[in-house]
Amino acid sequence: MQSETARVTTARESSYRVQYPNSKRRDVKVVALDALSASLVDEVSREPWNGAKFFTSLSFSTDSAPGTTGEGLKAWLKDLAGAANDLVEEVASSDFVVVVTSAGEDARAVSLIADACALHNKSLVALVVPGPETTDAQISESMTHLRPFARMLVIASGADYISAMLTALRA
Amino acid sequence: MLKKEQNEYLTQTGPGTPMGELFRCYWMPALLSEELPEPDCAPVRVKLLGERLLAFRDSEGRLGLIDEFCAHRGVSLWFARNEECGLRCPYHGWKFDVNGQCVDVPSEPAESGYAKKVKLKAYPLIEKGGVLWTYMGPPEKQPPEPEFEFCTVPLNQTFSSKRIQESNWLQAMEGGIDSSHVSFLHRGDLANDPLFKGAAGNKYNLGDLSPVFEIAESDGGLLIGARRNAEDEQYYWRITPWVMPCYTGVPPRGDHPMHGHFWVPIDDESCWAWSYDYHPTRPLTDGEVAAMKDGKGIHVKYVPGTYRPLANKDNDYLMNREAQKAGRTFSGIEGIGMQDASLQESMGPICDRTKENLVGTDNGIIMARHRLMRAAKALVEKGVIPPGVNPEHHKVRQAALLLPRAANYTEGAKEALIAKKGVRQTSV
Repeated sequence: MQSETARVTTARESSYRVQYPNSKRRDVKVVALDALSASLVDEVSREPWNGAKFFTSLSFSTDSAPGTTGEGLKAWLKDLAGAANDLVEEVASSDFVVVVTSAGEDARAVSLIADACALHNKSLVALVVPGPETTDAQISESMTHLRPFARMLVIASGADYISAMLTALRA
Repeated sequence: MLKKEQNEYLTQTGPGTPMGELFRCYWMPALLSEELPEPDCAPVRVKLLGERLLAFRDSEGRLGLIDEFCAHRGVSLWFARNEECGLRCPYHGWKFDVNGQCVDVPSEPAESGYAKKVKLKAYPLIEKGGVLWTYMGPPEKQPPEPEFEFCTVPLNQTFSSKRIQESNWLQAMEGGIDSSHVSFLHRGDLANDPLFKGAAGNKYNLGDLSPVFEIAESDGGLLIGARRNAEDEQYYWRITPWVMPCYTGVPPRGDHPMHGHFWVPIDDESCWAWSYDYHPTRPLTDGEVAAMKDGKGIHVKYVPGTYRPLANKDNDYLMNREAQKAGRTFSGIEGIGMQDASLQESMGPICDRTKENLVGTDNGIIMARHRLMRAAKALVEKGVIPPGVNPEHHKVRQAALLLPRAANYTEGAKEALIAKKGVRQTSV
């Protein structure tokens, strides 16, 4: 007699696996850290998503209201419509955060986003996108800067990979 | 998560499918040399990429891989007599050589030239490193021979085995690039398996269950770095190379032989899990080879006379709940190879990826899928030769090393990741 372990892995029995949804919608925040990556994020944002929010820049004010980063600075994320959104609130309402930076560009802002992620126990995924002229040294510099903050650090090939990753993560 | 059509795209490898065309760009392991041990030995049935074939070694030692069925009336040539440089069908005596060419039709006068008009499909079969490799693509696009280090070192430095896995190739291969499961599924074996234990690096695996991953594209595929905390402001890095479409290397441990896998589709619901072990600079010891033959490390014990694992789905993989409860094994299944296979087969013949919930640490899998789809599309639409075909892409090594926290693994391990003749692996 066939074992249950063997029977359950047949194509016929696989059709009896329950079809109910097994997860809820993800709240993913995608943040460009520089002007070059902002255009990539803008491009990716035009695809249909399940609620992912896209931000094309990070700015600061000295407002010390709730939501400060701890150093008297308040950070704002600019969305695609140009509206400013409180960084800490956006991170708090996310499932995880993806930052995108162009290799060789200034990625120092990631530390603020990482602080907010740490504050709310959110994972931070960092994508480094090399350009056609990018040198290994520039990639290395970006990786070194991002490494302390990211749970996952990827050298991505471009917008198509960002889309593939967000689709895979149900963003 | 993949869309249904993406899942089908990646998992179907039969003739005419995009992934089937991709696989047909590469030399793939087809058989172990031991399966065709001598001239005129028994032919062996082979099924690869959804095609039924027959392998044989003729009277002069030449290797052939041809359509399994006789061109006359469809009899399986597995029943054929291997004699005088060809396979002779036992039904009516038609005979075929290693190129699939019919060389004799006894019922027709030899002078008629009838035999010359009949030819079975045949693929090249070459022997390298104790493995018989085939290339199933267009002859005019046949690439140079494979140069993976395990098949280029002297034969006494390398050992390969294979086992049938009753699942689609992709879910098997994805296990090979997902090194985060090691700290859970295989944790019991790090301390006990003779081909793993004793390495200084094992303490980092067991001491830090939350590795952080970094993924970089390489010329032939990916380099997947997993870092764990180590003493003195260092990270312990384990770097897994993936060479397209289905080669993976497991980062080494101490001076143990290095190992890894090929995941070769048989059809869409089964694959060959090839496992290799080799040492770049020394012969394998008798004890190491004995352990490999006994199913230790990444190898398995077989049902006698077959390449089917002794622990398989028909006997619940010899599940041992007592060992699981006591922590000797994490899943209750013995052996690293079967720990992987049992779980991957439990996904079903073709994993339904529309229902999966990936997380950030699955980026290696996400990126591999993306590269495969991108390469298959470029091949089918524009004829672009995919990564991993060029033998230079094969000369990559897995590595395990300690690096200062500020160092990048792609730079800090640059030399360690290149296969160099006579140079020992970089390992902790």
